[in-house]
Amino acid sequence: MIPETMRQELQDRISSAITNREAAVDVMKALQTHYGWLTDEAVVEAAGLLGLSPLQVEELATFYEMIYRRPVGRYVIHVCDSISCWSMGGESLLRQIAGLLKVTVGATTPDGLFTLLPCCCLGNCGQAPAMMIGNSIYGGVTSLEKATDILHQHRRNT
Amino acid sequence: MPKLIIDDITVEVAEGTTLLEAAQSVDIPIPHFCWHPALGRAGACRVCAVKLLDGPVKGIQMSCMLPAQEGMVVSTTDPEAVAMRRHVIEWLMINHPHDCPVCDEGGECQLQDYTIAGGHGIRRYSGKKRTHVNQYLGPYIEHEMNRCIQCYRCVRYYQEYAGGTDFGVMGSAGRVYFGRFQEGQLESPFSGNLVDICPTGVFTDKTARFRARYWDYDMAPSVCPGCSLGCNTTPVARYRELLKTVARRNDAVNGWFICDRGRFANSAVNAPLRPRHAVVDSRESCVEDALDTLLLRIHALGELHGPGSIAVVGSSRMAQEAAELLPQLALRIAAGALCYRTTRKESTETSSFVELVHTGSSASQQDVRKSDCIVVYGCDPLNEAPMMAMAIRQAWRSGATVYVIEHKITLPCEFTLRATLDDVPLAEAERPVIICNLSAETDQLDKLLEGHSRLKIAPLFPAANSFGTALLMREHGAISLEEALADGEIKGIISIEADIPAALLGKIPFVAALDWQATATVQAAQIVIPTTAWVEMNGSYINYEGRAQHFSKVMNPGVPVKGLDPAGHPPHIHRSTATGGEALPARQLLARLIKLLDDGNRGLS
Repeated sequence: MIPETMRQELQDRISSAITNREAAVDVMKALQTHYGWLTDEAVVEAAGLLGLSPLQVEELATFYEMIYRRPVGRYVIHVCDSISCWSMGGESLLRQIAGLLKVTVGATTPDGLFTLLPCCCLGNCGQAPAMMIGNSIYGGVTSLEKATDILHQHRRNT
Repeated sequence: MPKLIIDDITVEVAEGTTLLEAAQSVDIPIPHFCWHPALGRAGACRVCAVKLLDGPVKGIQMSCMLPAQEGMVVSTTDPEAVAMRRHVIEWLMINHPHDCPVCDEGGECQLQDYTIAGGHGIRRYSGKKRTHVNQYLGPYIEHEMNRCIQCYRCVRYYQEYAGGTDFGVMGSAGRVYFGRFQEGQLESPFSGNLVDICPTGVFTDKTARFRARYWDYDMAPSVCPGCSLGCNTTPVARYRELLKTVARRNDAVNGWFICDRGRFANSAVNAPLRPRHAVVDSRESCVEDALDTLLLRIHALGELHGPGSIAVVGSSRMAQEAAELLPQLALRIAAGALCYRTTRKESTETSSFVELVHTGSSASQQDVRKSDCIVVYGCDPLNEAPMMAMAIRQAWRSGATVYVIEHKITLPCEFTLRATLDDVPLAEAERPVIICNLSAETDQLDKLLEGHSRLKIAPLFPAANSFGTALLMREHGAISLEEALADGEIKGIISIEADIPAALLGKIPFVAALDWQATATVQAAQIVIPTTAWVEMNGSYINYEGRAQHFSKVMNPGVPVKGLDPAGHPPHIHRSTATGGEALPARQLLARLIKLLDDGNRGLS
């Protein structure tokens, strides 16, 4: 259950949209922030708020890669595997980070801090290879040192 | 009207026609999965590729996406187009199991046909296949997601066409999954059409899974007896068992689809309790003897109680051919009453509506789909005649306004409530339709019809042949059984596929029942003669709009082979009919009875 204040805020957000569906991503992101990931309960809650069926919310939730329908770590690392980043070494970046974190792609570190996911285009092709951690985007991650630094930064912040 | 050339044939088609439809109009088939006449195009499967050799567009194009234009020269056989289609098929087949022999769709699968037609016989892909976990979708539909080729037909049908919200498409890219949020029965009352619309075996009819192959089916064009809409169907039978029913296209009536109530209604035909042989005084008999005994009893009753002591009772579920013979039978036995309805209310209601429809103002389902203003007046289409609700939705999708006159109902579309019929701006509409049932005031509708020349009416009658029998009631002055029994003169009832309430039967000393269902009337009858169900005979129903539709015999009557004691099957005694196959169409039984009566009157018996 989300707090009443949050429910009210989301309802205001929905009523300011032209169609309910338009606000769906905002609602899902807010619920995701609240629960840590978009739980089944959250999907049903979002559906109730948006006047859609849970299935219709699920259709959107599973389409967007930054809506997490499974538990994730505190920080989700999205490493771009799209064409520009791939040609600039995105593949090895993903492999290196997996090595640094000692997890396979898609898994979460045992301390619950990082989840590593590939993703398709962060809109940062000019600074390929790119990755995103939480809400911060990083470009030109071409060296192991740079990647290590970024991860350390996040470890320190916790 | 653009004129173009497809495979050296000049074609002229209406503006906006797609290349695929233009080709189909001259019998040039182009493979397609995502395109469906009822759903339009999605451009998702890429299998309808053709090559445009000349004209405004050139090169390989998707024929379902491209409107036909003046001067196009199209080749469906160009090597480049053929290669493209072959490659697309191969790629669609990458994740699809190569196991048609163990798939229920095998033999009636569009993907199988096009794979073979496209020339993809040997798999080159040796990688791992994408697999999915299937969901339980209820007792009627089986889900097999591994067979999916992502044509999106199911979700476009379910959500857009039928207005369902509990089934859809999830995931993205290679993970696309068609299903529900959680396992469970599909909520739409039109969910069965998923089986028809899926071009491969993702959705199959669970009630008939692995029972027969397409080439073994007993099939014939038929009409649904479920309500008065008369939706066109193709029932499928095998070994005297009605296996399933699929929708049959009729653009004027049901379009491409039928409702679940009509589709999953086999059990009555296969019911173990169905009367399968003639019964006289609780003892098994044969049809000939039962008819003879019936004649004797008719004479005996006549001698005992005088003429007019017998009522001939039909119903609104009997085929028109049999219903037409009832007045003749009544005449020959000097029946006291000819009835097609049991209660007085039913009787008066139907008569007045037949008059109304006779003015030529009845709306077909197609008229409803094309209407721009629909008024649902005092009826509940989703429950009384589900496909009418579907037609209303199609009109709404094309921009029609739907009004509901103050009434608690649900519809698969948005609607506006109005207090009375007068609050609806009928005069402003181009093609207005009022949908009602027999509880509506015909005087009021008459007045509206006079005032609005474009107005059409769709009165939902209670049963498949309510209209046809109502015509006969009018012609022959038939009354309701309730009225006929009022003065206590009636001492015997000959019931032909009639559902007579026990309260009315109680006081009658003699009851004979001709029926294919084990009704209360059959149970109370001294003489029972089995008739055939609609799938076991030729006949016709007249639907709510006065449209007479023929249905053909699908299967021979008889006890389904499934469930028979293996010791008794095949039967060890030679006989020309199947076990329990003595049932005859009611019209044949009536004709025989009439002939026997005539022979008797001429002193031949």
